[in-house]
Amino acid sequence: MKSFRRLVYPYLLWAIVFIVLPMLMIVFYAFTTEGNSVMTINFTLDNFFRFFSDSIFINVLIRSLKLAIITTIICIFIGYPSAYFMAKLKPNSQGLMVLLITLPMWINMLVRTYAWRGLLLESGLSPEIKVYIGMIYNFLPFMILQIYTSLSKLDQSLITAAHDLGCDNKMAFLKVTLPLSIPGIISGITLVFLPAVSSFFIPKLLGGGSYVLVGNLVENYFVTTGDWNFGSAISLIMTIVILISMYFTRKFDYSKEDR
Amino acid sequence: MKKLIEFRNIVKQFDDNIVLKGINLDINENEFVTLLGPSGCGKTTLLRILGGFLEQDQGEIIFDGAEISKVPAYKRPINTVFQRYALFPHLNVFENVAFGLKIKKTPKDIIKAKVDRMIELVGLDGFQKRDVTLLSGGQQQRVAIARALVNEPDVLLLDEPLAALDLKLRKEMQHELKRIQQEVGITFIFVTHDQEEALTMSDKIVVMKDGIIEQIGSPQEIYNEPKNEYVANFIGESNIVDGVMKKDYLVSFDDRDFECVDFGFKENEAVDVVIRPEDIKLLDRNKPSKLKGEVKSVLFKGVHYEIIVETQKGTSKTVTMHVLEDRDVYNQECGELMHASDFTMDIEDVSAITEQELIARANAQAWDKESENDISISGVEFKISDQPGRYPVTFKTHNGTLITVNVNVVAPKYVEDKTSNVGITAFDFYKTVDEIKESMAISVDLKTWADAYAWSLDDDEEIKISNVDFDFDPINIETGDYKITFSTEGREYKVHTTQYFEEGAKVSVDFGPEDIHVMHKTIKS
Repeated sequence: MKSFRRLVYPYLLWAIVFIVLPMLMIVFYAFTTEGNSVMTINFTLDNFFRFFSDSIFINVLIRSLKLAIITTIICIFIGYPSAYFMAKLKPNSQGLMVLLITLPMWINMLVRTYAWRGLLLESGLSPEIKVYIGMIYNFLPFMILQIYTSLSKLDQSLITAAHDLGCDNKMAFLKVTLPLSIPGIISGITLVFLPAVSSFFIPKLLGGGSYVLVGNLVENYFVTTGDWNFGSAISLIMTIVILISMYFTRKFDYSKEDR
Repeated sequence: MKKLIEFRNIVKQFDDNIVLKGINLDINENEFVTLLGPSGCGKTTLLRILGGFLEQDQGEIIFDGAEISKVPAYKRPINTVFQRYALFPHLNVFENVAFGLKIKKTPKDIIKAKVDRMIELVGLDGFQKRDVTLLSGGQQQRVAIARALVNEPDVLLLDEPLAALDLKLRKEMQHELKRIQQEVGITFIFVTHDQEEALTMSDKIVVMKDGIIEQIGSPQEIYNEPKNEYVANFIGESNIVDGVMKKDYLVSFDDRDFECVDFGFKENEAVDVVIRPEDIKLLDRNKPSKLKGEVKSVLFKGVHYEIIVETQKGTSKTVTMHVLEDRDVYNQECGELMHASDFTMDIEDVSAITEQELIARANAQAWDKESENDISISGVEFKISDQPGRYPVTFKTHNGTLITVNVNVVAPKYVEDKTSNVGITAFDFYKTVDEIKESMAISVDLKTWADAYAWSLDDDEEIKISNVDFDFDPINIETGDYKITFSTEGREYKVHTTQYFEEGAKVSVDFGPEDIHVMHKTIKS
């Protein structure tokens, strides 16, 4: 057993260099001012004050959260029935459906979004709607596959038992199928909501310059203006918002299981 | 007792497979009914049709005077305990049991009272808040029973509910189920393939086979008066013997006439006779009895010994085995060794003989002396005609090593036993000392070498040769002639007795007229 542990070292190294160090650097940048040198480090909270005192930034954050939440909800409402339908098919057809759903993912997400830009270019839709279409299109498969996995694992004899105990189809669904597929919905939410909050190229490509989200702000401050300190502060705020939402999602999941 | 359920000519087909072939069955109120049969006999299908999870293709189910085929499962006053329990993993013990009542919108205080009472009835008091996935098999079983019974159904269906439990727990649950059934006083329909379970718990047993009912009756009736060979074999252990009903109260089997208590058969009708192993008594040889026999095997079974007694020897054929010195041929030029033996052949096989078969029968082999690697035999020269006699056969390899053996072509000599209707044949054969010493399974090899074969004179079906008798020690055998006797199984009786008998002991076999049960022969379909 012990010798197997060494196999983790390459990944550990990778994680330290490419995950932990950058994170620490972001925290460091967020709490300092521009123009640090090795000798003088100026700690400050100015970056955060700047963000929260400007209503434009606050609105962008709220808009991002709204976009992510609505995208997630629409994905659940489209994804659940599709997954339910898939799980009812014959095993062969199920495999085909999973293939069809994963097929677009073989192509890079960026490429697909460019394709949508071309399609929607002359549609006359508002930038907001275009962004929603792009988001839902890109994230829906994750939701479907998660829910499908939990539904296909569902023991059919439980449904039979529910019928036996007096449930019609609707009640059997509400009392047995739905509660038992919650874990699938939760992991679907995690896979859709998190990338949706921080996505920046979908709004950039489909919304033009007019639909700015947190992700775009971060990109902007890092790449265009070169203000890494403020960019880091925004990243940190976004990370904290994500952590809080994760906490509530998990809590909802556990409260179901503990009961 | 009032009739509660009537199955009328139920037919069910899955694709090309007819699972139920017209089932007619009445079930009374408060009865513990067991559907008994091997897997695939249709018992679970019948249960699922009654539960409303499947629909029959033909026939009707009358429940308390009304036809219920079109009533959906959730409206039937029937609940089921499923084979693998199907407990809801997201609910605890209390919530699982309360499930049905909650669906019916029963007031909360009544749910609590009923559920707690039911949990107590199944002996799980104090487990209300437990996670069902963490319970043992037996406890899950009890939850499943409580969950079904709390709805106060008219009928409880149990689909092999004890199959997943270990032996001790299974016995315990058998008593438990019977107790619960008597306490709640409703009809239990229990599906199982375990005859012991059926005998222990049921008021009525329904023995099923291939989608039809073979017999319906109380456990005593089914055990003591099985209707046919199938039921007798399925329920308990039994000796089933071919016999002839001479007249009422007189049956003949094993070449003797016996008084019996059965009547109503045609004169000289061919019948099956059942004698249960515990009804047979073994006595010393000098005591008077109609059957004499020899103890063939004794097994200790705890409460009793299981003794096999042979009352009549099987059909046999004796042949001679000629054991010769090894005479391997050595080809110095290429360092090859070669070997083959003489053998005997049935004249009827001559026309269809192939080179492969000759190689196999003569056990012809060639190998390199240095490396001991096998070398293939490339040619067989032979000229065998279908007249009895000795014919030379020559085997050779590519390098020119050759060996010649003799084949004895003989006319077949069958032994036909008219009393037991068995034919048997075998041939004399030649072997070398080494071949016998190298044999891993001497009885099997002797059968192959002698080409021994037995068959039924009635239908030409092969009969197993169960005994190979010889009086040499394969490890220390020397050249010479040896007699080998092949025989089929004789007439044997299985006896359960507490008295010990030595293997090989000569005994008298005794049973009374009431121990004999005569059945009609089943017509083979």
